[in-house]
Amino acid sequence: MSNPTDLKFLIVDDFSTMRRIVRGLLKEMGCNNADEAEDGAVALNMLKAAKYDFVVSDINMPNMNGFDLLKAVKAEDSLKHIPVLMVTAEARKEDIVLAAQSGAAGYIVKPFTKATLEEKVQKILQKLAATA
Amino acid sequence: MKMEDIAMLAPAEPLTVSPEVFQQLGSITRLLHDTMQQLGVMPKLQMATDGLPDARSRLTYIASKTADAANKVLNSVDRAKEEHASIAEATRKLGAAVVANPVKAVASGAVLNFVQEVEQSTARIDGHLTDIMMAQDFHDLTGQVVAKVVTLANDLEDSLVKLLVQVVPPDHREKVDSSILNGPVVNPEGRTDVVADQGEVDDLLASLGF
Repeated sequence: MSNPTDLKFLIVDDFSTMRRIVRGLLKEMGCNNADEAEDGAVALNMLKAAKYDFVVSDINMPNMNGFDLLKAVKAEDSLKHIPVLMVTAEARKEDIVLAAQSGAAGYIVKPFTKATLEEKVQKILQKLAATA
Repeated sequence: MKMEDIAMLAPAEPLTVSPEVFQQLGSITRLLHDTMQQLGVMPKLQMATDGLPDARSRLTYIASKTADAANKVLNSVDRAKEEHASIAEATRKLGAAVVANPVKAVASGAVLNFVQEVEQSTARIDGHLTDIMMAQDFHDLTGQVVAKVVTLANDLEDSLVKLLVQVVPPDHREKVDSSILNGPVVNPEGRTDVVADQGEVDDLLASLGF
């Protein structure tokens, strides 16, 4: 599972622009298989309906925020193996700690670079491969 | 809450409310009105609240302009990248043809076709780059609107803070709901509760065993 090009990503963000940017960056990394969801509730339904390998999620979203999505994913036996990378403008330490304690695989603050996203995705995949 | 919802909450039969309740409500309203007049915040607050619908439309305008600009730029980038990929592919093909048989490559017109293809493609890429440049006009337009909304917000904040300080019990004045400050940290300098960059995020996660 260490090659991101083989994976199916789910990008969760209420801003379509940010979804497009993350999708574009993943595409440049060779990951062409990505779907989008505009909030946590939509994402959770998509995760239950189809197989995904990696979630990249914002935190501040309507209906269901990123923290609630993260907790829901980690509480579901069939989903808890999916790494969730938080990509958010929330820079408060308590949010970062909460994300880590809730089972986030990584945390990126906006604005970010392609190199940062690539590094975090690779790092998460390497860690998963090592523990598999 | 919508008007229909309020209507649904209304009792089927008239309520019997004691006159004391209305007297108390009247006293509270009078006290609030007098306090605001004495504080001198009423006219300023009124001006600020009058400006709120205008501020809402200005903010909607900003959201619309920035979204349009972002989409325009991303669309242009997608098209320019397609053109770029097309040139790269044509270059690889011509290179292979020249290596295989240079005379045939020229005689068949492959070289000339390539030159024309590159010329047309670069003209289209230039057009996309111009579109990207033009899309940045949102910055100037929204910047002016932002300045006006900030002035309004400052006036409103000033009035509300004055009012809040008077209304909140003294022992609760220091306690402010910090949730209203959620979102991007504009200036992390001097703050210990936020991180300034990705490096600090990584350090914090490392300290947690990540």
